[in-house]
Order: sequence, then C-alpha cells, then structure tokens
Amino acid sequence: MFTHTPLRLTTLALLAAGSLSYAYIAGFFGLEILAEIAILAILVIALDLVAGFGGMVSLCHGALLGVGAYAFTVAATEAGLPALPAMLLSVALSSVLAFAIGAVCARSTGIYFIMATLAFGQMAYSFVFQSPLFGGDDGLSGAPRPDLTAIGIDFTDSRAFAVYTILLVALSYLIASATLRSGLGRSLVGIHHNEKRLRALGLTVWRAKATAFAISGALAGLAGCLAAQHTQYVSPGLLSWTVSGEALVVVILGGLGTLVGPLLGAILFVVLKHEISAITPYWHAIVGLILIAVVMSRAKGVFGFIEARWEARSPKPVVKEAKADA
Amino acid sequence: MLETRNLSKSFGPIQVTRDVSLKLEKGERRVILGPNGAGKTTLFNQLVGELRPDRGSIHLDGADVTGLRVADRARRGLSRSYQKNTLFDGLTIGENLGLAAAVALGKGQGLWSDPLQSAEVRETVREVAAQVDLAPYLGARVDAVSYGIRRQLEVGIALATRPKVILMDEPTSGVGPEMSKGFHRLLKGLPRDLTILIIEHDMDLAFDVADTITVLNYGEVVFDGLPEAARGSQLLKDIYLGAWEDA
Repeated sequence: MFTHTPLRLTTLALLAAGSLSYAYIAGFFGLEILAEIAILAILVIALDLVAGFGGMVSLCHGALLGVGAYAFTVAATEAGLPALPAMLLSVALSSVLAFAIGAVCARSTGIYFIMATLAFGQMAYSFVFQSPLFGGDDGLSGAPRPDLTAIGIDFTDSRAFAVYTILLVALSYLIASATLRSGLGRSLVGIHHNEKRLRALGLTVWRAKATAFAISGALAGLAGCLAAQHTQYVSPGLLSWTVSGEALVVVILGGLGTLVGPLLGAILFVVLKHEISAITPYWHAIVGLILIAVVMSRAKGVFGFIEARWEARSPKPVVKEAKADA
Repeated sequence: MLETRNLSKSFGPIQVTRDVSLKLEKGERRVILGPNGAGKTTLFNQLVGELRPDRGSIHLDGADVTGLRVADRARRGLSRSYQKNTLFDGLTIGENLGLAAAVALGKGQGLWSDPLQSAEVRETVREVAAQVDLAPYLGARVDAVSYGIRRQLEVGIALATRPKVILMDEPTSGVGPEMSKGFHRLLKGLPRDLTILIIEHDMDLAFDVADTITVLNYGEVVFDGLPEAARGSQLLKDIYLGAWEDA
C-alpha cells in the first residue's frame, strides 16, 4: 500500500525546495528545461498512478496528453474561452475519454491491456493527424497562457511560467497521493495484486479501474494544457505512442509504483536528453543503456534503489512464525 | 439461506455437476465430501458466480441470484475461501483483512478518506484477526509468513466481509495435523448464525463440525443427511469412506 515514508517526504521536500530555488536563479534556457521537466513530471505521475499501483500499463497516455493539449488550444483559440475555463474543459474531456478507455480495457490485463490502450492512442493520433479541424500534420498554434496580469503575474515571463508548472506538479502529486490513500487507491493496489479475489469480495473491478484511469487521464490532460501553453503550439506528435513509451521509460527509470521516483525520473530524463544530445545525436541509445542497467539491477528504478539501500540500513521488526496450532 | 435447484454444469461431454439440489438453513454447517473430481469446487464456483450453470438456479436468502455477477453475490453476503491461497501477496496481513473489510463495507471506491484508518474497518480487522489467530501477525507481509498462516488468512479474508454464508474450499488443505486442529477450533468458534458450507477431506474435522453432510460423486448428490447416517452408509464406504472407516 502507498505510504509516505520519511525518505519519500524528505525527497519531496528537497525536490520542491530545489526546483523553486532553481526557478529563481536559472536563466531562460534553464527555466525552459524546468517547465519541460514539470510537464513531463505531471504526465509520469498520471502514468505511475495506474501502471505502478494498478498494474495498468498504458500506451495511450501520450494521446490523453494530446487530447488535453488540443482541447485547450481549440477551446482557447477557436471558442475564445479564457485560459482557466479552457483548461478545466480540456482536463474534463481527457478524464471522460480516459474513463471510457479504462472501462473498455478493464477486462483485459498484461500485454492485452497494453495493446488495447495502444490501439486507443493510435486511433486518437490518426484522428487528429487526418482532421483538418485540428490542422492536420501542421498542428495548431496560438495556445495562450493564463492571464493573471491583473494580480501582477505575467506568465509570458519564463520564470513565472516555470513556477506555475512546478505548483501544478505539486497539485498533481497531491491528487495522486490522496487517490492512493483513498478507498479507490487501496482497491487499485488490491486489483494489482489479486483482481479475482477483490471481485469475489464484492468490488466492481471495472468501475474502480475506469475511475482510476479517469483521474490519471485528468492529470495527463493537465500536462497537455501546460505543454500547449509552454510552446504555444500543438502538433499530432503529442498524441503519438512514442510519448507514452517515453513516459513509461521515465516511470521505470525513476521507480515504478513509488510516485516519488517518477519525479526523479523526469529530471534525470530531461537533463540527460539535453546534456547528451549536446554531445551526440544518439542520446536515446545512452538513455536506453541506462534503462537496461536499471531494469537489470532489479531495483524499482533509481528511487527504488535508494529506498532499498535506506531500508537495509534500518533495523527490521522480527515477525515470529505462528505455532502450528496457534 | 442458500439453496440450489437442479444445478447442472458440463465441460464439453463431461458433466461436472448433475441436478444438484441443496438447501442450507440459516446457521447450518454442512460439509461436502466426495472423491477428487466429484465436482465439489465446480459447485462452489457456480455458487459464487465464477461459473455459470447450464441449468438450475441458486437462491440466497430467498432471492434468485443465478444471473448475478460474482461481486453482486458477494455484496449480498456470500463469501468464499479458496483451496489454493488467493491472497494479496505484496501486502501485510492487516492490509489484506482491511481491504476485504473496506470493500465489504462499501468503502472500496471512495475518494475522500482512507478506509484502512476508519474505526469500522479497524474493528473488523481486530475481530477477524482474533477469530483466525492472526492478531500477532497483522504487520507481517503475506509473502514472508508460513503456509499455515496464509491458510488462516485465506479464511480470515472471507470472514472479514461479515458474510451471511461462507463457502470454504478445503481450508485445511496442505496443513499438518496440529494446524488442522487449530482450524477445527476456529470453525467451532465462529458465530452460530453464520451459515457454512465446507469442502473438506479431513474426516475428523468434517464429522465434528458438520450439522449435515452431502456427498458428491461424479457431480451427483449421492448422500444428503446427518453425520451419523453418513457414518453408517454402505454407499459412502464404497465410494469414499472405506479407507477412513478402516483406519
């Protein structure tokens, strides 16, 4: 079951302090990277919620992010909605779509679940790619950032935008962790461990899976809104399965099923991408080698490795075995 | 409390249950005996809804539940334990019991509070842990305890739903004689108004806890009556009990 251990809380506090401090000292390029990390962090929190805790490994989270990005852009540019209502609308749309996908895929598990989500994701990608309404291959531009100039906050400023994305990462984390500590979250973990037994206990498993997927989809949609606001441009590439695959790599790299780990994974991934790509165009190969090392180490990602070392140092309570007739 | 009428199920040409009609009153403890392949577990699977019968009906507390899904039947008070441990392996024993209690209390889909911290769930966990002798192990992970403790937990999870009817599929399967005695006491100590249907091969336990005995052979009820009558039945000795009687 999900718990906030002292190590996790300490890590979260360090990440919050570190990212906010960096937001105040970084230059333009650093702030752009920070926003990119934050957007990826929200997506991987969303994915870890269902994949790490519910065993629902999804390859449609890129599409859910893309739906959020496109819905926001269309709502804000075509429908003329202010940024905040457009965000709420697009998050709700991603969530409803995710609920439907979760409900349909709920009966499948393992590779079949992955393939079903991949199919949904690619359907969304093809639809957006071929639809003139969404600009086809050219995408859409003009996604606005929220206008809070009335209260003295200008999101066209990279620093303000980076801080805003960090705050939304914190909000996303709070939503995901609250979900995991709720009845739904406890059931989600139970489903991951033994779906058959939970059904026999009286849980409507498909509904629990679909609801968890809807919450995850809402977070992915939020990441999409921010992605659209960040570059002020959306293209079909956002919905591609490679975005989902990349998010999965980040979750595994950071620590599947830890919620904190994927945040570290997002930082590691984006920093490596920018640092290594400055040296060689084959940066994916380097990240691939690191991923192989992480998977082969059988630790739960980078954070799982740290947690295992931490726990090895802590004394464990001794559990006595029952006598046969106890 | 639980009734089946002409329950029949085939897998291809093999008929695994044949016109099985049973009627359990509230608080009745019935043991189902029968050789391997007699259709006992298949009968359980139909009772809880994991298998659809080809023919016949199942009634729980007066209502026809034949068309209901597994979860719906569980919510109406039908619970089961499995012959092969079906636990939440990565969790602690307390979390296993808590999850079962939370789901049964309708807190399995809530979003606003942690059911494992609720007074109602904690109380159920405490009571069930005492019933199945697991109180000292609530913090232990399931994959770190012995097979015997896992068998106790298997029954504990089923009890944590506070069922009206509990089906136990060979609760003493794979445990030694001492642990079997422990189960014996556990069963004796369960509330008297709980209706229990048990598949059991341990004859001492079966005859000690049973109010009534049903014997299945090739999917068919060949005996249905009191334990005393079962002991004296030549038919039963021929198909099942010979070795036990001679021992």
